[in-house]
Amino acid sequence: MVSSISGHQTIISVGLDIGTTTTQLVISRLTIKNVAPGSAVPRMEIIDKEILYRSDIHFTPLKDHDLIDAVAVARIVATEYRAAGLTADEVDTGAVIITGEMAKKDNARNIILSMAGLAGDFVVATAGVNLEAILAGKGSGAARYSKEKHRVTLNIDIGGGTSNIGVFREGRAIDTACLNVGGRLIELERGGDKIVFIAEPAQEVLNQAGLPLAAGDRVSLTDLKTVAQLMAECIVELISTGNLSGLTRELLMTPPLKLDYPVEKVMISGGVADYVYSDFNPMSVAEVSGYGDTGPLLGWAVRKQMKAKGVELLKPGETIRATVIGAGTHSVTLSGSTISVKEENLPMRNVPVISPFPGGVPGDVEEIKTLIERAIEQVTADGSVDQVALAMEGPQEPTFEAIRTLAKGIVRGSKSYLEEDKPLVVVLRKDCAKVLGQSLQVEIGKEAQVVCIDQVRVDEGDYIDIGKPMFGGRVVPVVVKTLVFNSSGIGSK
Amino acid sequence: MTLEETIRQIVEQVLSQNMESIVGQKEAAETVLSKVEGDCCAVESQDGSLEDITSVRMQEYFKVPNPVDREFYQDMKNTTPAQIGVWRAGGRPLTDTLVRFRAAHATAQDAVLNDVSEAFIREFNLTELQSACRDKDEFLTRPDLGRKLCPKSMEILQQMGKTGAQVQIIVADGLSSTAVETNMPDLLPAFLQGLEQAKISTGTPLFVKYGRVAVMDAIGEALRPEVAIIMLGERPGLANAESLSAYLAYNPRLGMVESERTVVSNIHKGGTPAAEAGAHLVDIVKQILEQKCSGIKLTQR
Repeated sequence: MVSSISGHQTIISVGLDIGTTTTQLVISRLTIKNVAPGSAVPRMEIIDKEILYRSDIHFTPLKDHDLIDAVAVARIVATEYRAAGLTADEVDTGAVIITGEMAKKDNARNIILSMAGLAGDFVVATAGVNLEAILAGKGSGAARYSKEKHRVTLNIDIGGGTSNIGVFREGRAIDTACLNVGGRLIELERGGDKIVFIAEPAQEVLNQAGLPLAAGDRVSLTDLKTVAQLMAECIVELISTGNLSGLTRELLMTPPLKLDYPVEKVMISGGVADYVYSDFNPMSVAEVSGYGDTGPLLGWAVRKQMKAKGVELLKPGETIRATVIGAGTHSVTLSGSTISVKEENLPMRNVPVISPFPGGVPGDVEEIKTLIERAIEQVTADGSVDQVALAMEGPQEPTFEAIRTLAKGIVRGSKSYLEEDKPLVVVLRKDCAKVLGQSLQVEIGKEAQVVCIDQVRVDEGDYIDIGKPMFGGRVVPVVVKTLVFNSSGIGSK
Repeated sequence: MTLEETIRQIVEQVLSQNMESIVGQKEAAETVLSKVEGDCCAVESQDGSLEDITSVRMQEYFKVPNPVDREFYQDMKNTTPAQIGVWRAGGRPLTDTLVRFRAAHATAQDAVLNDVSEAFIREFNLTELQSACRDKDEFLTRPDLGRKLCPKSMEILQQMGKTGAQVQIIVADGLSSTAVETNMPDLLPAFLQGLEQAKISTGTPLFVKYGRVAVMDAIGEALRPEVAIIMLGERPGLANAESLSAYLAYNPRLGMVESERTVVSNIHKGGTPAAEAGAHLVDIVKQILEQKCSGIKLTQR
């Protein structure tokens, strides 16, 4: 790869989305450029995203209802690489996102194993529902719309198992929620009217509707419509009011939306979206069950429900591929500044982020030391975590004195951690990573392993992945996996 | 009614209407005046002293009375220190805005006209030199003289200057002494720490009074360092008088061309913070030493 300061560089990124219903892959070329003016500290950013290849949409290969057949997934990926004319070592970075119902089970490990040879330096391998909502909103174009039009834009990605809601203001995600409503919670005989499978959340909807249906039963269009309409109502309720019905609460997988902002525009993506934006109007169960599920009917019901509520829908740039495009093009950010890490220690995966200074960086070395020690101790005590990333705003005023004090405090506070030859990872919001990184290296001395990056926003509870350095070691790909927006933690389920 | 009476009546009517409207205008003007006075009074704090109006950042100074979308307006203001969203009185700026404008102008003038203090030069252990300019006026009117050293300084340089260092550090007042005094205390130690860590040798650090960028050529010619770096105040604008630039050149010498210089500009609180700039400059020095070139050539490597 070229290593000039001003030139453009490109990397090939792969996004793989393994969802409840479908598995798909997108290959994109990301153009990276130093966006800072020539006379300022370089800042590498992805300035262009070109989609080179969209795979076929495959049914997710399953061993049973929620266990992915990882070997078959790897086969799909290998086939698609061939079709795209790409070999595994041409891939620079990428993300595997396991979404919807599939994310509930421990599928990630198997996927990582089976993908090892195909995607050497893939950075991500799992997705919480919040990350999925954000990726979908970025892939659908909702995030960009919110920035270009300065309107709070809400994206609902309705897939097979879940509906992921991401709310964007000025391009940034400000809220997310996930509802266990999707098009494939009831499986039908393809082209027929026999129920093949009813997932747990759909059972709750059926109970609410008073429909005693079970797998093996034949079902009428009227009954299916009742179910789809109930599901659609839950979605509309979630985005419009804090006063939720019992069923919506039951189906929520996260805390509800905060709605402390005006919802100015609504966009729908996901596989079901195609039927929201069409004029599909089913007259028989056979018309609905073409894919072996109730997806088309849910789309029809959502369209009807939105119209009834007077919600005007924006058309997304992508529907069924929104999440995978988001995964392939938006999940990775690049960060430069100070990186001196032994090659074998990268990539680092799922590094938990801790914020040692919730009240701001203290001005005293001893205080900094104590807080760092305490924070590291808290997450590493039970032995389940061996890597941490220290996130902080940076000193109040980034003077040299304040930076030196901070560096001394951090190094003293993480003494036991550093003794195990682990790289020190510090993520700053303020523009001071070079000087802090330099000061940390001076404090630690020879062989210092430091990753110090700035202008990346992370919070306690996030996880980050740091990939292998690119461009002569000047930048590393960083993936921030935001898991929660509310500090209140888990939802009603 | 005769014609004359009719005309008289019309004239009286018109006159009285005019008077009413004049009275009306006067009242309106008084309301405005009292409001303006009210605003001015608000600036005066409780102990009777005047508040420093320049202490409020332009980004936080927002005078539009009823914005349709305050948040969006504020987002826009956050991207620039320019005077937007300052409202108006008729077609003119508010008194307060006008005073702010003049205050900014005064700050800019101070930055240009004041000298870097002796205390500063001593604190950083700089060897003081002077360009061929005799005073500030000549410095401002004769850029050519700001690029040369006076004969006495030339002598000092010959005696005190260390030749053949890897990096020659030069500080000059340039067009803002304020920028030098504000940024160097954070920039210089970060820069030196980084150079030391990278085991890069430095020459005798110099300060040039009334110096312009190309004075580094004259110094380079005399001391023959591998790289020279000159850090000096940028011409102040209305938004900021504290901005510093650093110019670096490989093999600095008389007759070198501008495209051989690498520049890092906008070093100030709202741009690249001084300490961060110091560490960044170390990286650039390393690159220049490694590539044995600077300026456009370096960016093309």
